[in-house]
Amino acid sequence: MAGRIVRNVLVVFFSLVWLVPTWLVVVNAFTPTSQYTGSPRWWFASADIFSNIKAAFTTAAVGRGLLNSFLYATVGAAVAVLIAALASFAVTVMPVRRPGIWFWVIFIGTVLPLQTFLSPLFTGFARTGLYDTQYGMMLVYVALAIPFAFFVNRNFMLTVPREIAEAAQLDGANWLRMFFRVHLPLAKSALLAAFIFQFTWIWNDLLFGITLSLSPNIRPVMATLADLNGSYSTVGPPVVLAGALVASLPTVILFFVFQRFFVSSLRLTS
Amino acid sequence: MEVVTTVQKAAPPATRGGAPTEGRRRGSASRALWIGAFLAPAILLVIVLLAVPFLTTAYRSFFDDNGLSQKWVGLANYAALVSDPDFGRSLLNTVMWVAGTLLLPVLLGLVLAVLTNSVRWGSVARTAVVIPYALSGSATALLWQFLLQSDGAINQTLTAVGLGSWQQEWLLHWPLNTIVMIIATTWQATGASMILFLIGLQTIPNEIVEAAKLDGASGLRMFWSVVIPQLRPMTVVVVGMAIVNSLKTFDIVWLLTQGGPGTASETLALTMYRETFTLNRYGYGAAVSVVLTIVVVAASWLYLRRQARSR
Repeated sequence: MAGRIVRNVLVVFFSLVWLVPTWLVVVNAFTPTSQYTGSPRWWFASADIFSNIKAAFTTAAVGRGLLNSFLYATVGAAVAVLIAALASFAVTVMPVRRPGIWFWVIFIGTVLPLQTFLSPLFTGFARTGLYDTQYGMMLVYVALAIPFAFFVNRNFMLTVPREIAEAAQLDGANWLRMFFRVHLPLAKSALLAAFIFQFTWIWNDLLFGITLSLSPNIRPVMATLADLNGSYSTVGPPVVLAGALVASLPTVILFFVFQRFFVSSLRLTS
Repeated sequence: MEVVTTVQKAAPPATRGGAPTEGRRRGSASRALWIGAFLAPAILLVIVLLAVPFLTTAYRSFFDDNGLSQKWVGLANYAALVSDPDFGRSLLNTVMWVAGTLLLPVLLGLVLAVLTNSVRWGSVARTAVVIPYALSGSATALLWQFLLQSDGAINQTLTAVGLGSWQQEWLLHWPLNTIVMIIATTWQATGASMILFLIGLQTIPNEIVEAAKLDGASGLRMFWSVVIPQLRPMTVVVVGMAIVNSLKTFDIVWLLTQGGPGTASETLALTMYRETFTLNRYGYGAAVSVVLTIVVVAASWLYLRRQARSR
């Protein structure tokens, strides 16, 4: 009995510890800058978060950043997942010699720390005119998203029974047909999981955003948040909080809608 | 759309051009072509945009490179690292991040998973902990900036409740700034390890728990002797991910302190960034990232080896 009380008290305690920062942040993002006194509010001052969001959009182009990130994350993750699916089909279904080597060539991308790619990419992009362009950003996000998407897809395709591929071969299907008609539909949930995971990753990236782009027309949303943070003292905390919340909304929604995919992709690493 | 049409075009000549059932000799050449076509996009992108930059970085670390001129210096950059107090501090901070991440998000995740798994309204508590996990490192940093600044929410609240003497300049002194940033990360990241441990808990066979109950185990005893050993495989995963992620810590520090004051709260990732892009010491920055790579690869080695063995 005493154990149960202790357990309940602990659960309440931890929930509160986690909720208090969340609560403070949301409430103060709704506070009009003019009414912000310097000390945090504990209850809503108004229902109007939009003027703060608008201020964030005009100060640091957070709105443009949202559009850019949406483009990069959607296209980048979709292209990467398709390319990764092709490659995982090759190493699992096609008769490749030494599939292990190809696996590691692609998978190594998830092992190396991202920082090691940064300065050569910067120099290379500057030299080829890709620096500060949407094509450049998309290209780098596709490449960065491939290794993990490949890992997820390959793990799934390993579970597809050999007999299915053999049956398709007997029916005279060629590789491309087999890939699009048989394996791609079978892998639908793995593909979706990889897409959602890589979408979130690209959306949340700061490092490449601040390094490979500069102008507000190109910068992804996290980089614009960094800009917004730079004018923290002039625009005031409510605006910064509102900006951070707006930038987080898409991935938070995605997370709760597709929670089981996040769980399964976390699980895939086990 | 285009993809669909090519499929339809390619489909009819089922016995020609790359059909797997085709005769052996002509088949092997076209088969190689097919395999090449499937593998090429992934391999090319990874090699051109990831592998080549990595090798360039490794090569650059042997040069004194200011972006304009390069001079071969052998291992001098690495030798300079060893005696650089800033690098030592950065290494120490990185170690603190690893230790802190193992201590807080991993341990709390385990405790919360076990606690909420058996409490009736545990799902409410779980949601509270999981929400921040959906936030990015950058957003987390901005939210905690609001709490941690010298005139931020925490200090104001402390004054308001009469604990003004507890006020701190949270982000301005080492090691306090690193510690509070680890706590901010804990707030954000515990959700992930909690979810993983919950999955692990659900895979514990009921018979084992029942048998332990019959033997009179309960509470803490049950936790230590039954739950912990049964969770071992999942713990390996969580710990492996925590180590690798904490070694690469960048976003939150970059936005909260920029590695400062001075270089006091820098991690290896930040040191590399500053040396390369602020000071234009490309060779030195490259050497830092090579050290970071070696540390990360060495740390993930055990985890990956286990991965390979279980296949």
